[in-house]
Amino acid sequence: MKRLFRLSFSLALFILCTAFAQTVAVVTPYLAQPGTQFMVEAFEAAAKAKGWTVNVIDTAGDVAAVISRIEDVVTQGVDAIVINVDPAQVAAGLASAADANIPVFGMDAGTDAMLVTNVTSNGYAMATETSSYVVDRIGGAGRVVMFVFDAYPPVQKRGVVADAIFGNYPDIEIVDRITPDVSDGGIADSRAKMEAVLAANPDAGSISAVWAAWDQPALGALQAIEDAGRGAEGIVIVGIDANPQALDAIRAGGNFEASVSQDFNGIGSTTADLVERYLGGETITQATVYVPTTLVTGANVGDFVSQ
Amino acid sequence: MPPLLSVQNASKSYSGNKVLDNAWLELASGEAHALMGENGAGKSTLIKLLAGVVTPDIIDLKLNGTPIQIRSAQEAFVLGLRFIHQELNVVPQLSVAENLFLQSVYPKRFGLVDWRSLNKKAKTMLSGLGIEHIAPEKKMARLSTGDKMLVKIAAALLGEANETASVFVLDEPTAALSSEETGRLFELIGQLKTRGCAVLYVSHRLEEIFALCEHVTVMRDGKTVASKAISETKQSELIELMTGRSLQQVYGKRGESVFQDVLLDIQRLESQKLKGIKFKLFKGEIVGLAGLAGSGRSELLRAIMGVDASRHEILLEGQPFLASSPSSSWEQGLAFVPEERRAEGLVLSHSVANNVALPHLNQMSHGGVVLKRRLQAKKARALTEQVRLKARGMGQKVKELSGGNQQKVVFARALAASPRLLLLDEPGRGVDVGAKVDIYTFIRQLSQKGTGIILASSDLTELLGLCDRILILHEGKQVALVKAQGLSQAELLGLCYQTKAAA
Amino acid sequence: MTRLGRLTRRFGTLLGFLIVILFFWFNLPDTFMTARNLLNISQQVSMLAVVAFSMTIVMVMNDFDLSVGSMASLAGIVAALLFSQGSSVFLGVSAALAVGLLGGLINGVLVSLVGILPFVATLGTLTIFSGLAFFVSGGKTIFGRDIPAAFSGFARAGLPLGTLNERPLLLPNLTLVALIVLFLVWLTLEHTTFGRRLYAIGGNREASRLAGVRVRLLRLLAFVLTGLGAALAGLMYASRVASANPTQGAGLMLDAIAAVFLGMTMSEEGEPHVLATLVGVLILGVLDNGLTQMQVDSYVREMLMGGIIVAAVASSSLGKQS
Repeated sequence: MKRLFRLSFSLALFILCTAFAQTVAVVTPYLAQPGTQFMVEAFEAAAKAKGWTVNVIDTAGDVAAVISRIEDVVTQGVDAIVINVDPAQVAAGLASAADANIPVFGMDAGTDAMLVTNVTSNGYAMATETSSYVVDRIGGAGRVVMFVFDAYPPVQKRGVVADAIFGNYPDIEIVDRITPDVSDGGIADSRAKMEAVLAANPDAGSISAVWAAWDQPALGALQAIEDAGRGAEGIVIVGIDANPQALDAIRAGGNFEASVSQDFNGIGSTTADLVERYLGGETITQATVYVPTTLVTGANVGDFVSQ
Repeated sequence: MPPLLSVQNASKSYSGNKVLDNAWLELASGEAHALMGENGAGKSTLIKLLAGVVTPDIIDLKLNGTPIQIRSAQEAFVLGLRFIHQELNVVPQLSVAENLFLQSVYPKRFGLVDWRSLNKKAKTMLSGLGIEHIAPEKKMARLSTGDKMLVKIAAALLGEANETASVFVLDEPTAALSSEETGRLFELIGQLKTRGCAVLYVSHRLEEIFALCEHVTVMRDGKTVASKAISETKQSELIELMTGRSLQQVYGKRGESVFQDVLLDIQRLESQKLKGIKFKLFKGEIVGLAGLAGSGRSELLRAIMGVDASRHEILLEGQPFLASSPSSSWEQGLAFVPEERRAEGLVLSHSVANNVALPHLNQMSHGGVVLKRRLQAKKARALTEQVRLKARGMGQKVKELSGGNQQKVVFARALAASPRLLLLDEPGRGVDVGAKVDIYTFIRQLSQKGTGIILASSDLTELLGLCDRILILHEGKQVALVKAQGLSQAELLGLCYQTKAAA
Repeated sequence: MTRLGRLTRRFGTLLGFLIVILFFWFNLPDTFMTARNLLNISQQVSMLAVVAFSMTIVMVMNDFDLSVGSMASLAGIVAALLFSQGSSVFLGVSAALAVGLLGGLINGVLVSLVGILPFVATLGTLTIFSGLAFFVSGGKTIFGRDIPAAFSGFARAGLPLGTLNERPLLLPNLTLVALIVLFLVWLTLEHTTFGRRLYAIGGNREASRLAGVRVRLLRLLAFVLTGLGAALAGLMYASRVASANPTQGAGLMLDAIAAVFLGMTMSEEGEPHVLATLVGVLILGVLDNGLTQMQVDSYVREMLMGGIIVAAVASSSLGKQS
């Protein structure tokens, strides 16, 4: 009887503890990326408000290590895991979490049956915004340089949409479709690649626009264009993500004209809310939860810089 | 008149083990003084005390009758002591002239190194010492070991900071020198003596001691056992003093037999460094290779072994032999003891067993693949016993052994193949007297069993003592092939020089 | 040197490893020293282990192979590309291993026959293999339906060891592969004439040549084996992440060298042995696992691991000087 009491007591204590002091692990190989940082910080802030313990793990680009770290936190017995990496590549880790009945959430990760849900911006929509901005600005005709990164599915999506939209205009010619080396963050190599493109196309007006699938190559291209003294040719540069450096560039009123602000804070805090709802017993039906995005141009950049 | 340098009561122990026990030594100015003893007798420790790199337990030092202390290499230098060690610390990347001026200041012009003046000064310095054949612009790395030694000695003798030098300690300086280079060194030492310096000369070579020194001090087991004027002693007495035992015949008795079966017939051999080589070696015969430095002694051995490429027609026991690589030569029953024991002969960080077995691993394995370790150790033990190796065991690291015992390891390796033909390059170099006797005995035994031996050496006594015939080389050309029996050292040296004039 | 000093020098790293284990055991009493976690660690380090074991083969000769990481990436890409074109698992795996063999052969020829310093030669091939991986894959990650389940399933399966807490306990296949490679490399290096000759080459290349060792051939073969091992590790990696990416093996090279160095601190003469390399690999793996479980910040974790490597090598080198 006494033993039974003790057992039920400790069980009750266990349940209480889990209900109030959740431990959540966030695992990503991409913490060095500004967007990921914003999401993780917003998630941590929301989690802190809920009284959770958050363990953020960065594997510095190593995807197999993400699996290893997922296994480690499963062993540790966390209550939920949030990943920011392509789920198809870490399926082994997701399986070990599933074995231990630990739910895994995607935070700008990718849709996967083994995730409770994935919270993200709509990449197709963002790329639609910037590529149609470019089409409008150059009047549906001209020569466009594209910066893409097909190795990372969320960014690859953007390129697909841009390809389709530019392809819809027979007078738009794609000068080059460049995959920059991102090991240095992407700016330096994009700049070098853009310098090469400029050197190959020396005449004023021979390049109408630079469409970049994210901000770093757009910033690199901007540096290359300005340093080549071709800032006055009216080359339109657009990026995606609206990182602080990009916002500065847009506000300065130069060639960098537009980007799309992903609501990284929103993704982070929405993920935290979904984790809370799921652990509270609710069923999440949506495989992907989209958080709205906004096109940033010179007109509304002030609203974002202050953020 | 007090001695120039007096060392008394020198004692030093390492963890209870006395390596120096009341040793003493007195050097007079203007004399060359030999310091002799087997390895481990305490010579090196005594020298290290003088050099200030080892602190003695007790020592009484006097320079010109004044008590002194040597606590660091710097102090030794200031007191006028100079050391020339076996290991040549030259800078191989720099030129000869730069190495000469390493300790002093390069001549400068407009704040830059004045290369012309540097080379000119170096040239004058070298020719002042009778060294005419070394160009000061030459990279140190491209010099032979002997020439490197000469430059190193010249630097120690002639550097601008060396005017105060009064005592020179030469630790086996001739170990790597040819007879010709040794002759030059002796001329240098003669100059030092006339300047009133004392030269402490450490060497295993008895002949040199008698040619060069006025006085000899012999050490054994950390003690000074004798100090004599050279005129009052002879070789056999010194050997007995050093070893503490009597040595009747260092080189063993030459066989009386007439050689009949040809083992090796070199009908033609040419390479970049060799030409006109043509001779026969009989079974059981020892043929020596003599010549001045650069004559091609080592090169000939290396060509036969297949280390260096050559064009050749060679018959080994009547069958065509192709010297294509060391590995194929070992397989065909050749064995090789190379010149530079540490650099070319041994894997110093490995055990005795591994070093002995290295060329024979296939025979000590299942089908040449999986090693039979027990067999390896067993064979190594048997072989090293045969050469009377002194080691703690088959697992001892070769680098912990003395020079003589290291050489015995290389010999044990050669023996393992039961070779038909044994190639020896300077087998007695840097080996103490006791080990030398073992090695010579062993060479004799092998030849008596029918092994043909080719022995290259710069030690004329060694050649005359061991060989049946001697082949003399000059600048890579075979110039004479003579019987060793009845040949005197002077005659052999004469042959080496005469051929120089003839060529 | 005192006996104690000699012992701490040789076994200091092993002692440090035990201390690390005890530390985690004490701080993570419920989760660290469990069969499941230890099996997990074994699986996590398996790819690094295979690279490090293969790296040991060339490092025995005092050589290096910097190209192992990019060879691993390339092998993964080659297999995945063939899979995406409908090849069988057997064909894809064989082709990837053949690429490893060929890459190793190129390294071997450059180092041994052409005579380029291994550091320079393999730095060159590192870049070539990496560029080739990007080129053939178009820079894309190959994943999803392109990767056959039989291939990606391999890394998730294992030998059943029983059940624990109503969940099956598996000896992961990747661990098994690493153990097999460990055994083969150990056998090769310690018990074959080939291995002993490699050690002799490492000790004194010229003396070995004069003693009849076929130095050129053996060096070439050693590089071939290392290339093969790197390709195998690349396949293991691709199976584990069920995808192939042209950069995914890049991190393996430095960790592998670090593991071999850690192991080298445990031998008297500073020569590498594959069992010591295993300890080096396990130190890295256990630190990763334990520190993650203790919720130590990722970057602090990296600094700690770097610090431990430097400390181990430094203490061993100080021990040798005294």
